[in-house]
Amino acid sequence: MSKASPSKVPTRVADPALESLFDVHEATLPNGLQVRLLANHQAPVVSLYTVFQVGSRNERPGITGISHLFEHMMFNGAKKYGPKMFDKTLESNGGRSNAYTSTDLTVYYDDFSADALETVLDLESDRMRSLRISQATLTSEREVVKEERRVRVDNDIFGLMDEELGTLVYKAHPYRWPVIGWMADIEAIRREDCQDYFRTYYAPNNAVLYIVGAIDPKKTLALVRKYYGSIPKGPAPAAVLNSEPEQKGERRAEVRHPAQSPALMLGFRGPPARDDDTFVLDVIQYVLTKGEGSRLIRSLVYEQKLAVSLMLDWSWRIDPGTILFYLALKPDSDPKKVEAALYAELEKIAREGITERELQKAQNNLRSDHLRELATNNGRAHALGHYEALLGDWRRLLTLPSTYASITNDQVKAVAAKYFAPERRSVVTLVPAPTEA
Amino acid sequence: MASRKSPSRKSPARPAKRAGGKAPVARKASPKRGAARATTSALTLPTLHESTTSSGLKVIAAERGPLPMVSVRLVIRAGSATDPDGKHGLADFTARLLRRGTRRLNAQAIDEAVEFVGASLGVGVSEDTLSVALTTPSEHFAQMLDILGQLVREPTFPQSEVDDARERELAQFANDLDDPSIIADRAMVRALWGNHPYGHDVGGSSKTVKTFTRDDVVRFHQERMGPKVSMLIVVGAVDPQRVAAAAEDAFADWTGGPDAPVAIPAPERIAQGGRVIIVDKPDQTQSQVRLGGPGMRMGHEDYFPATAMNIALGGGFTSRLMNEIRVNRGLTYGVSSWFDSMNAAGVFALSTFTKTESTREIIDVALAEIGGVREKGLKPRELADAQAYLAGLYPLRTETNESIAGSIAEARLHGLGDDWVERFRDRLRAVTPKQVVAAAKKYCFAQAPAVVVLGKADVVKKQLKGLGPITVVPASEYE
Repeated sequence: MSKASPSKVPTRVADPALESLFDVHEATLPNGLQVRLLANHQAPVVSLYTVFQVGSRNERPGITGISHLFEHMMFNGAKKYGPKMFDKTLESNGGRSNAYTSTDLTVYYDDFSADALETVLDLESDRMRSLRISQATLTSEREVVKEERRVRVDNDIFGLMDEELGTLVYKAHPYRWPVIGWMADIEAIRREDCQDYFRTYYAPNNAVLYIVGAIDPKKTLALVRKYYGSIPKGPAPAAVLNSEPEQKGERRAEVRHPAQSPALMLGFRGPPARDDDTFVLDVIQYVLTKGEGSRLIRSLVYEQKLAVSLMLDWSWRIDPGTILFYLALKPDSDPKKVEAALYAELEKIAREGITERELQKAQNNLRSDHLRELATNNGRAHALGHYEALLGDWRRLLTLPSTYASITNDQVKAVAAKYFAPERRSVVTLVPAPTEA
Repeated sequence: MASRKSPSRKSPARPAKRAGGKAPVARKASPKRGAARATTSALTLPTLHESTTSSGLKVIAAERGPLPMVSVRLVIRAGSATDPDGKHGLADFTARLLRRGTRRLNAQAIDEAVEFVGASLGVGVSEDTLSVALTTPSEHFAQMLDILGQLVREPTFPQSEVDDARERELAQFANDLDDPSIIADRAMVRALWGNHPYGHDVGGSSKTVKTFTRDDVVRFHQERMGPKVSMLIVVGAVDPQRVAAAAEDAFADWTGGPDAPVAIPAPERIAQGGRVIIVDKPDQTQSQVRLGGPGMRMGHEDYFPATAMNIALGGGFTSRLMNEIRVNRGLTYGVSSWFDSMNAAGVFALSTFTKTESTREIIDVALAEIGGVREKGLKPRELADAQAYLAGLYPLRTETNESIAGSIAEARLHGLGDDWVERFRDRLRAVTPKQVVAAAKKYCFAQAPAVVVLGKADVVKKQLKGLGPITVVPASEYE
């Protein structure tokens, strides 16, 4: 983890306003399940998150997409609450639930009426303890996931390009394949693969439970012990090997597909979330694309009128992630020209840095967005899980504003120069193809 | 997460990203319209403090912590239903141009002033209203409100900004043709409402936007937007007295607009009821399906029975439609039904998608499920479960300044009463099976619905025989 930034340990001082909101009670059960509890009595509702340390990075070719397909299977019945009973019981007690799978994590969450707490713990612990995977539900759920893939990828331009970009940026690392998996793999995943997956990754020692809302932390911890305490510990999952070779130069690909306009998607190889450069990239992301007055939106959308819209997504990941740009263009746009204009802006930051006012503006907005994120129970539980999983400690959410506030213009310059180098770049161009009638 | 309509549920600190291969993939698409819900503990909203500026703008303030943030919403009754004939999309176009220059500040200066302090400003147009929403750190509240005042009092609509906005909009319309779900929704709006003022996309179409001139925008602003048809709602960590004073400073000189909102008539019928519209997009491997019939206006006495009925039919994850179409048959990833209730009228609609080959099957199964509820209503247990579900989750709507401001606006706009939120759960729990039977008979497609399918027309058309007269339209019709 080489650091481009002029070395300086980032400041970590807890924000007093946040600290007063986050009186978190922590515990670890003997079976390894970690528990975080936070009371908030503003409304009679509770959010519960279960974060499992498993995602598409734990997969291998042949079973890509299993993390996500498995996530669906977690709703299809366990020993005590059989098929359809999870949702039925939850909803009829005033709750709702969803889940998502990323490259790194599988995350389940429930929002519910405070008086349903014990029911929810019963439901959640039942499926962690004794999931039942039947051939019938697997067959049917597989079709649902195939429809999901059709709507998100096969019939979606962003999805098609994103899938292409992944295979360009990564040659060896599992980030290479899409989280939803290749269609043929989705079709091939077997019941035994799912059972293995459950045994390996869904043991309590691979999970953290977050409960935020109208709760009494002491009583809630007693309930958690009652429902989860006897679930047996599992073996520690194998570590993921990162054998990604160094990138030696720019990589390019085209996607030909019926479309009105060309489009561009670019990925620059970034650092892992835990690297200090991550926070500098957050600042750069804000300077470039946060708000109408941000550099790229002002320059490429409003002044040069080259793009209809654009986005920059710097998503933190456990292993080195991707700084992703997506530019929606106009029917007569020349993607080459747009690329050149984008590179000019990126080079400018690397060369000249940003103004003090831009730096201050990014810091102000990072703080406001951080506060907005923490407005709801669901947001707080999500944030606890997110920072703990990716930075190693939920307390980092308290010190993040001070980390951003300590970032200097020299760091911005150095980080931009390092990560926006052409040899870290992969480019996917959408080439509009005529529709076949 | 699957469609542009669905809010991204991930950390709002990052830009909303359309779901793609590497993005987190969720188990369910977000429901189209939020469902409501209930529990035993009382719900109390912060006290509302009302005042009126000397220009006649109604101001409603509610103080609420603990976060040092304030949410502001200026709601103007000048939605897309008030677009002039031949100028569909003008309300939306005008709204977007408000921040592109005022008498004192150019677009860049507005962006800088708002964005520097970490505030955010957005406009939103619906059929009934044009809204400007602002969230700001509390310490910058008065300054930000002053800017909001400038946007509606003295926008200048520079010619070059009008021209650029029109060009951007036209490019966006072209690109929208590549988004199957957007085009299907647009086709559905037209099929449901026809020539009614609700019968066009809020953004208009490339045909109408092409004709927009600066004069159109200036006229819309002068004639449609003014203090007497507006209200300002402020929720957050700010003293209500400060709100009243700041509102007077920011809006005292606001003039123009009508004395009363433009009245929108109720439509007589569903424009394309009983007919099938196929929107042809030959590159698709999946069909987008929409079904729709009459619903009710917001504030209608059927609201609670119909809402409870819909939760069981197509609202929650255990609804009949979800159970039969997704869980039992694996035909789709998402299906939902909802009532879209606006000020003058509403619709009852269903949205889903499936692989091209199973287009007819998914329509038949959906119609059978809806027909089942129309014939027999709900089982008592289903109604009780739907009531518990909605009532249990309803307090989520009181979690943020933004959602509270939204509820206040909704209650005021539609005359629902200031106790709307507090009494919601009781009214929902009071719904009886008999009321549900009546609502189901009325709304569950008593007459054949309008059917819209976007997909591969040459394959789909054969499947849809017998559903009603079929019209095939190229997707480009909806640019």
